[in-house]
Amino acid sequence: MIAHAPILAIVVPLFAAFLTPVVSIVAKRFGVERARDWFVVGAAILMLLIVASMVPAVWRGEVLVYKLGGWSPPWGINLAVDGLNLLVALIIASVVSLIAIYSVVYMERDNGLEKYYTLLMLVTAGCMGVTLTGDVFNLFVFFEIMSISSYALVAFRRNWDSVEAGIKYMIIGSLGTSFILLSIALMYGLVGSLNIADLAGKIATIKATQPLPMIVPLMLTLFVVGFGIKIAMVPLHAWLPDAYQAAPSAISALLSGATATVGVYAMLRVSYMLFGALAIGTMFIILGLVTMVVGGLMALVQRDLKRLLAYSSISQMGYILLGVGFGTAMGIQGGLFHLLNNAIYKVLLFMCAGAIVYRVGTSNLDELGGLGKNMPITATLFVVGALAISGVPPLNGFASKWTIYVAGMEAGQPICTAIAVVMSALTLAYFLKAINLMFLGQRPEHLREVKEAPPLMLFPMLMLAAFCVVFGILPGLGIDLVRPAQSAVMNQLGYIGSVMGAG
Amino acid sequence: MAGMTVIVRTISRLLFPFLFLFGAYIVVHGQLTPGGGFQGGVVLAAAVILLLLAYGIEGAQAKVNALQAELAESLGGLILVWMGLMGTIVGIAFFQNVLPFGSLGHVLSAGSLPVFNFGVGIKVAAGLLTIFYAILRIQGEEEK
Amino acid sequence: MSLNYIIAMLLFTLGIYCLLFKRNIVKMVIGLQVLTNGLHLFLISLGYREGGIAPILAGEMLGRGATAEFAAAAVDPVPQALVLTSIVINVCTMALALSLAIYIYRHYGTLNPFQIRRLRG
Repeated sequence: MIAHAPILAIVVPLFAAFLTPVVSIVAKRFGVERARDWFVVGAAILMLLIVASMVPAVWRGEVLVYKLGGWSPPWGINLAVDGLNLLVALIIASVVSLIAIYSVVYMERDNGLEKYYTLLMLVTAGCMGVTLTGDVFNLFVFFEIMSISSYALVAFRRNWDSVEAGIKYMIIGSLGTSFILLSIALMYGLVGSLNIADLAGKIATIKATQPLPMIVPLMLTLFVVGFGIKIAMVPLHAWLPDAYQAAPSAISALLSGATATVGVYAMLRVSYMLFGALAIGTMFIILGLVTMVVGGLMALVQRDLKRLLAYSSISQMGYILLGVGFGTAMGIQGGLFHLLNNAIYKVLLFMCAGAIVYRVGTSNLDELGGLGKNMPITATLFVVGALAISGVPPLNGFASKWTIYVAGMEAGQPICTAIAVVMSALTLAYFLKAINLMFLGQRPEHLREVKEAPPLMLFPMLMLAAFCVVFGILPGLGIDLVRPAQSAVMNQLGYIGSVMGAG
Repeated sequence: MAGMTVIVRTISRLLFPFLFLFGAYIVVHGQLTPGGGFQGGVVLAAAVILLLLAYGIEGAQAKVNALQAELAESLGGLILVWMGLMGTIVGIAFFQNVLPFGSLGHVLSAGSLPVFNFGVGIKVAAGLLTIFYAILRIQGEEEK
Repeated sequence: MSLNYIIAMLLFTLGIYCLLFKRNIVKMVIGLQVLTNGLHLFLISLGYREGGIAPILAGEMLGRGATAEFAAAAVDPVPQALVLTSIVINVCTMALALSLAIYIYRHYGTLNPFQIRRLRG
């Protein structure tokens, strides 16, 4: 493990964000504007290496505790990396590296790019901060950094749709984060500490010795609402379709791959670790089912490709909540594996949509057609992603969905499994419709000269599709990747002991 | 954007150095009195924005133009992160104290805190100024 | 002392009402500010101690080595630090929201969010 790895994983993107304006000015002076893009790609890959270096130690079972400023918990802010953190950090680092490579080509026609790359690095720093921290107010601050940068990125193109989507996202998102702040204030007033491990211990003591004060379920509800807005749980999902449709496709991929994953992680950390409440699983199951159904049904009637992908993102979040809500080892493994797979195929699908927008100029399904002959590689990769998200064997979606189905049967909830299977079939239906409308059939006259996407855009898409296939053929590999995370979720006492004991 | 009358311009020109000094005082005494980086940075930015309102954009840009503000903002952020990294290189953890503590109540005390305050002050002042310039640029394009 | 909490919750509710029911983006932004002010008031009141002094170690406390009685008499400085951080975050959010409001006014000529809904479905 690289020394000081946990804090370096946060500092490297932050440093890159502060350096990007300087690099951009210097690069423009020397005439090599692309140097700024490759600088950001380099920073993202460096961050990936730092995160990967923490893997051996954490997968042996130890919790890496890093004390900021040398102050020991619970008086100081500390970073705590266990299995769950590391899985999410790996997902985010990989997704951001691939999106940075993709953006080099995709965003080249826009101006004001130094702000785009600065904001991209700030979103990454915010995501890493939320993932790796062990202090609940630090989590709030980095969550705000991530959210505000993503509001700005959604409105990046500054046309009518983007600004409207940005304002809607910002108002709803700010309401959510103010709920989180209220909950943190209530928690501080009740317990007097801000460290996650310390809070977990003290709340467990409160729950054990007295009848539960009314404040504790209120705090949990506020947290779930606040984070639920970020991951677009129904009924808090109103901002998501507009934001994903109006943002540049690279940013839609970032939002669905990185910030949604971070939102799920934060919700898991707070509800399972802080409140130790495996009993709120029922609420997660119900919310997951509603989210899955509403997302899927709304996706059936969409005529715009990115809006369809946005609603299917909502639907996939429902699967993750369902899997995690079951509370059993297999359920949590299924939910976390689905989180990993969702990041992979959702980013792939948005990148394919971006390739089409880059070459054709529109994402409206009514205006596309017959592109399979012009863009064969993009079409194949889109088909791979669509089959993966629908849960068709032997791709990765099938492996994680099968785990969730089996967990549902074992937990005695066959109805949930039945609904999930039906929604999978529905997912396949609307994706086949989209593929038919876009790649097969009659090609309109004005699309005859459309070329294949540039190779630098195809490279990240190929890597993601390869991951889809690999995790599908070898599901054991995926489960091995996820098992340390799952045992970390169920091991609340171990987490508390490791963090407080390191003081 | 036009400026204001002669009276406003004269008074702002006279007041600007005192406002700047007051902001710098708040930043430097951050470890002794309430204040510090953010509060001092806001007062510093307010001083320049007062000039902006009184003289119009051209007068303010003669003192601090947009490019300098952007570079100052990056510089402030880099000072902050650099001091944190000094904690890792010289000390044990990020953001750890590396400078001597000094005696209680003096300005040059409290280890790395004055440097943090300085970095944050520059960054906040430059950041708020950049925000104002950006918003005024939108207004300026609209009027043309 | 509980008057602080009541006013804080009143501000919070007022802010949410403003955010959800006003038809002007600038008023919604003001509502967001009122909401966060209520939260900050709530947070600071949490740290209050009856008859406490400001948590600044200076002046007559210097050189007496009386840190224990200082710690017993001072109000809690942690919520004050939390509120400072939250104010800074708020400034950034307000700057972004107002810039977007200026863009919307420039493009649509109106600030009514219900009249600018082109994205549907």
